[in-house]
Amino acid sequence: MKRFQFLLAVTLFTVATSSMAATIEMTVNGLVCAFCAQGIEKKLKKFPATAEVVVNLEHRLVAVALKDGQDIPDADLRKALTEAGYTVKAISRSDTSIADVRERIKQAQP
Amino acid sequence: MVRLFTGLCLVAAAVTTSMAKPIAFADGTTVMAEYGAGTMQELQIFYAPRFDYSVGGGHVDFSSDLDGRTEHINYARLNWLAHRWNLDDAQANVFVWGGAGSVTGNRFEGTRVAGNAGLQVDYETRRIYASLKSDLQRSSVFSDRIDTLQLGIAPYKHDYGNLATWFVFQARHYTGELHSGIETAALLRLFMGGAWVEAGVTNAGKVQAMAMFNF
Repeated sequence: MKRFQFLLAVTLFTVATSSMAATIEMTVNGLVCAFCAQGIEKKLKKFPATAEVVVNLEHRLVAVALKDGQDIPDADLRKALTEAGYTVKAISRSDTSIADVRERIKQAQP
Repeated sequence: MVRLFTGLCLVAAAVTTSMAKPIAFADGTTVMAEYGAGTMQELQIFYAPRFDYSVGGGHVDFSSDLDGRTEHINYARLNWLAHRWNLDDAQANVFVWGGAGSVTGNRFEGTRVAGNAGLQVDYETRRIYASLKSDLQRSSVFSDRIDTLQLGIAPYKHDYGNLATWFVFQARHYTGELHSGIETAALLRLFMGGAWVEAGVTNAGKVQAMAMFNF
């Protein structure tokens, strides 16, 4: 019985952590200048779930680090970017840390 | 080839030009100041509740190179982003604006009502920039329009948080007997974060400069 309870706990923990993304990454069209990035950063920081925002023009990337246990629905992200004047092409979620995203960007610099 | 290039510039300048955008981003404030080689000086401040429009006002001084005429205009203005194209690695915009204000000058008595209207079309990537702008100020005693073409090239692709450097060619045409012929200028533009400065000289050896701050 104890073994079953342990396995159940591990399973629930795994499911919970895997469904709670640490970082949301978006591919955005129209990102060509610092002012674009500034406006997007300002908009996304208004979400209570946002811990940090990284914008990279080279990769047309907007990454949002989420606060623990929180999330932002895709529809809200698309709405926010559209209201900022940009077009979202793709949204993906992962448990990658924002530090890892920064490092990946740094490694990929031409 | 030189003749073709000159012709294109003249056509573009006749339509009009510019560079800085009257709307930076949603919930953003833009302050712009421009010194236009002694012929025009302008200060503007706009607030954008949304990404596609901003409201604000400004002050512009005109000083004719030809007859010593001066005009001083205060105005309120609405800027509207009529259309934006968000491409993979580029962005293009069409802005229009209009407003009203008051004007004083050295060739007429008292204060008159003035209206203004304008159009800007721009296209930019992280390496090239092109814009055409036409700005009209009109009252019962004058009609001044400034048409500006800007073509820019960046020696490297900047990214957010880094210094952006641009070399810009500007051609400007004034109507209303403000200046004779096409005024050209070579400009160095730098921006980082929310600050933008540019400066250069015109073909007459005069200073042309602009600063803009977004926050």
